[in-house]
Amino acid sequence: MSQTNLSIASIYKYVVRGLSALSFAFLTGCFEVAPMTTIHPVTEAGRDINYVYALTTAIAVFIFLAVAIPVVIALVRFRERPDDDGSIPEQVHGNVVLEFIWTIVPVILLIVIALPTWQVIFKQAAPASEKALKVEVIGHQWWWEFRYPDLGIVTANEIYLPENTEIDLSITSNDVLHSYWVPRFSGKVDCVPGHVNKDKFTTPLAKLAGGDYYQGQCVELCGLSHALMRFQAVVLKAEEWQRWVRAYKEPPVVVTSLEEQGSKIFNMHCASCHTINGTPSADLDIVKVGPNLTNFGDRKKMAAGIMENSVENLHRWIRNPGKVKQGVVKMIPYEEILAPQEIEAVAAYIRNSTVRKF
Amino acid sequence: MTGFFKEVWSWLTTVDHKRIGILYGASALLFLLIGGTEALLMRTQLIVPGNDFLTAKAFNSMVTMHGTTMIFLVIMPLSAAFFNFLTPLMIGARDVAFPRLNALSYWIFFFGGVLLHISFVVGQIPRGGWFGYANLTSPTYTTDLSVDFWAMGLQVLGLASLIAAINFFVTIMNMRAPGMTLLKMPIFIWTTLVTQLLLIFALPVITVALVMITFDRKFGTGFFDPTLGGDVVLWQHLFWVFGHPEVYILILPAMGIVSEILSTFSKKPLFGYSVMVYSTCAIGFLGFAVWAHHMFTVGMGPWANAIFSAATMLIAVPTGVKIFNWIMTMWGGKIRFTTANLFAISFIAMFTMGGLSGVMHASPPIDAQHHDTYFVVAHFHYVLYGGAVMALFGGIYYWFPKVFGVYLNEAMGKAQFWLYMIGFNVTFFPMHFLGVQGMPRRNFVYAADQGWNFWNFVCTMGAYLTAIGGFVFIINVVYSLWFGKKAVGDDWNGRTLEWMIPSPPPVYNFAVEPTVDHLDEWWHRKYTSSGTRTDVQIEAHVDPSTIHLPGPSFWPLVMGFGIFVLAGGFFLDSYGATISIAGMLIVIISGYAWAFEDNG
Repeated sequence: MSQTNLSIASIYKYVVRGLSALSFAFLTGCFEVAPMTTIHPVTEAGRDINYVYALTTAIAVFIFLAVAIPVVIALVRFRERPDDDGSIPEQVHGNVVLEFIWTIVPVILLIVIALPTWQVIFKQAAPASEKALKVEVIGHQWWWEFRYPDLGIVTANEIYLPENTEIDLSITSNDVLHSYWVPRFSGKVDCVPGHVNKDKFTTPLAKLAGGDYYQGQCVELCGLSHALMRFQAVVLKAEEWQRWVRAYKEPPVVVTSLEEQGSKIFNMHCASCHTINGTPSADLDIVKVGPNLTNFGDRKKMAAGIMENSVENLHRWIRNPGKVKQGVVKMIPYEEILAPQEIEAVAAYIRNSTVRKF
Repeated sequence: MTGFFKEVWSWLTTVDHKRIGILYGASALLFLLIGGTEALLMRTQLIVPGNDFLTAKAFNSMVTMHGTTMIFLVIMPLSAAFFNFLTPLMIGARDVAFPRLNALSYWIFFFGGVLLHISFVVGQIPRGGWFGYANLTSPTYTTDLSVDFWAMGLQVLGLASLIAAINFFVTIMNMRAPGMTLLKMPIFIWTTLVTQLLLIFALPVITVALVMITFDRKFGTGFFDPTLGGDVVLWQHLFWVFGHPEVYILILPAMGIVSEILSTFSKKPLFGYSVMVYSTCAIGFLGFAVWAHHMFTVGMGPWANAIFSAATMLIAVPTGVKIFNWIMTMWGGKIRFTTANLFAISFIAMFTMGGLSGVMHASPPIDAQHHDTYFVVAHFHYVLYGGAVMALFGGIYYWFPKVFGVYLNEAMGKAQFWLYMIGFNVTFFPMHFLGVQGMPRRNFVYAADQGWNFWNFVCTMGAYLTAIGGFVFIINVVYSLWFGKKAVGDDWNGRTLEWMIPSPPPVYNFAVEPTVDHLDEWWHRKYTSSGTRTDVQIEAHVDPSTIHLPGPSFWPLVMGFGIFVLAGGFFLDSYGATISIAGMLIVIISGYAWAFEDNG
């Protein structure tokens, strides 16, 4: 057979090659590992999902071939030729056997998908064990609150977790619908106001000192700045986790006079909405509407994971948060109240004094 | 000049199903231009990370209005254009059952579209998503009127669709030509019929839901407010009980169009016609049993997830049957690659891909990863754009000569097809990758370090390519209306009744009511069973004054306007009730005038 002869067999070969490349692209998400990739899970819960995904993708590619190849063959073989004699083709009305086959084969393939699907649904829905670490996730417009009821810890925008531990999440919302998602751990769970949803997974081993970072994000339209509601999940080595829990309850370390000045401003202007453990702000018997800032100095990012935790960014935020994140109204533009030097002081206090040595 | 006003007046008062069909089609294409522009604005915002081309508010508005416009103001009315123009022609009738009611549906639809777009004028564009999830829509979280524009706009549009659905259902059931039993109806009429049933059962649900949200906002009820004992998830159930059948409302007419086109251009009858009918009915029926697959992550518990996942997978069976029957329709035929047929063939491939990613989402664990990511955006654009919109364009190229008496230009048509086909796939195929890489939908901005830069750039380039295709289409329509090749009647060697009368059809449609003996009646009149051509000709024109037709009426337009005024009152604090009552009076008065009108 000559190379130039585009026979049906060679078309078939190219179609198969193209589609297997395509299915590979699908499975790998073409091609780089993005921080929020869904196909490089690090937990068993995530791997269970990925298994069903890989199986379904393979079946989908098979069915696509079963459709695409006959279409291509029909288009090549049965096109009207320029020298057509004008006669009409045989008027075929149907074929019971064929139609039965393509009713029954999809049914079988669907059962192959459905069985592992149900298995994973019920496995994931079983309650977490008694010894699992309980964490409450609360969505706010547009930041995340994480509470550890058994440890008495409240934090925000970075959820710290010990390695190789079962986590029992209770997920809800303080205002509108949000959806909690760390793709490399497991699927998303909606934060529904008035409901508590459960999720569970076992954290992987931590590789890096200071914690392995995984990205998460809100995935339900929750108002203006929905896109700016991200967070980090930090998995710590066991001994670091112990130190983190201990250090979290200690008061902040105030060194410079600037920080000293900042702590006073914080207690006067910020403490009715924000808390830093070990300061008077923690003793106020009111519901705080702003994120807990106890370990702000440790956080890599700020304002719900949208920018680097830097001095300039913090200044920008305090001066006018609504300008950085559209729709933020609960925190007023402090450039209208505080002098630039005072903003510098309170930012120094919030960033420097809250570094938790763990 | 009086001639011009007379012409405008005749369109405003028309009750002719063909003219109403053209009005629907023209309006839908105008809205397609608006909805497409909204999409281009979004793609331009996302071309690079951290872009500030649009504000968060503007982007969320574009997200909401693009979806709302494309569903309620483009695909539904474009389908309605085909229902209107073709239903009486394909069943051998002179008009629909209730011609004035038909005009009323169009005018209500028109004013509903106007109402939604007044939000742009006053700068309070809906921004809570086309699905309007509670409680973001509550007065606490959306203080301006944007939600009201959305809710009242959909309410009015829903009324238009409901009236039209009842009209077409009655028309198809009662006005078929003698001899046209249900299983001799063209497949497009079958998909139309099932679509009307879906509309009749699904629209009341969204009507109730929208009344509830309006009560929550205007009168302080708390149906969806957890702080008042309401439940936000209730909205999701109500919305998707409507919203999922809605998907089939959008796709079934397209399937009917594709079936007609493939059969004509393969010169073969539709393969497995009766199985196609049954699978259309099965899809329509199952379409009501799968709504909660939009809610797998909301916390319904494992049993609900498992059952809805099974029901959803089941829909793949009748759908798969359709796909293989379309292939077998082409198999053994003589395929002509007209523009209409290219669109129809591409429908098979694109719809299959959308269907397969749909099966993936039917599995709740997979859905938990893909839900609300670009994977889902890719999925439903393959179904609704690569599927429904491509099929509707195929329908436009196929029936344009019948409607206007001129063919659309084939060279420009093929240019548009390839621009659309390539542009569409370049835009939406990479969205699968973005979804797998975890990019959430409805985000006005993303960060440079999230690994989504390259494919977003590619997607935007594809969107621009499609825009060029749209431009080619506009030029083609204008050019062809003036200089297009003249059509006579049987413009593609068609199979169904509409091709036995002249193009464009005379106002009375059929001079003599046809009698039907076969499925594909016109084909059977043209060809003997041995395949030789008979000498049958298209019907000759007769003097229209010899045929009784319903007279024009001004009252449907007035009643539509009354409903517009009634709905408009909800937007005003002072005098709002007065204006609504005035609107109600207009509706009542025009109703009386209508009832006592001497309409021939």
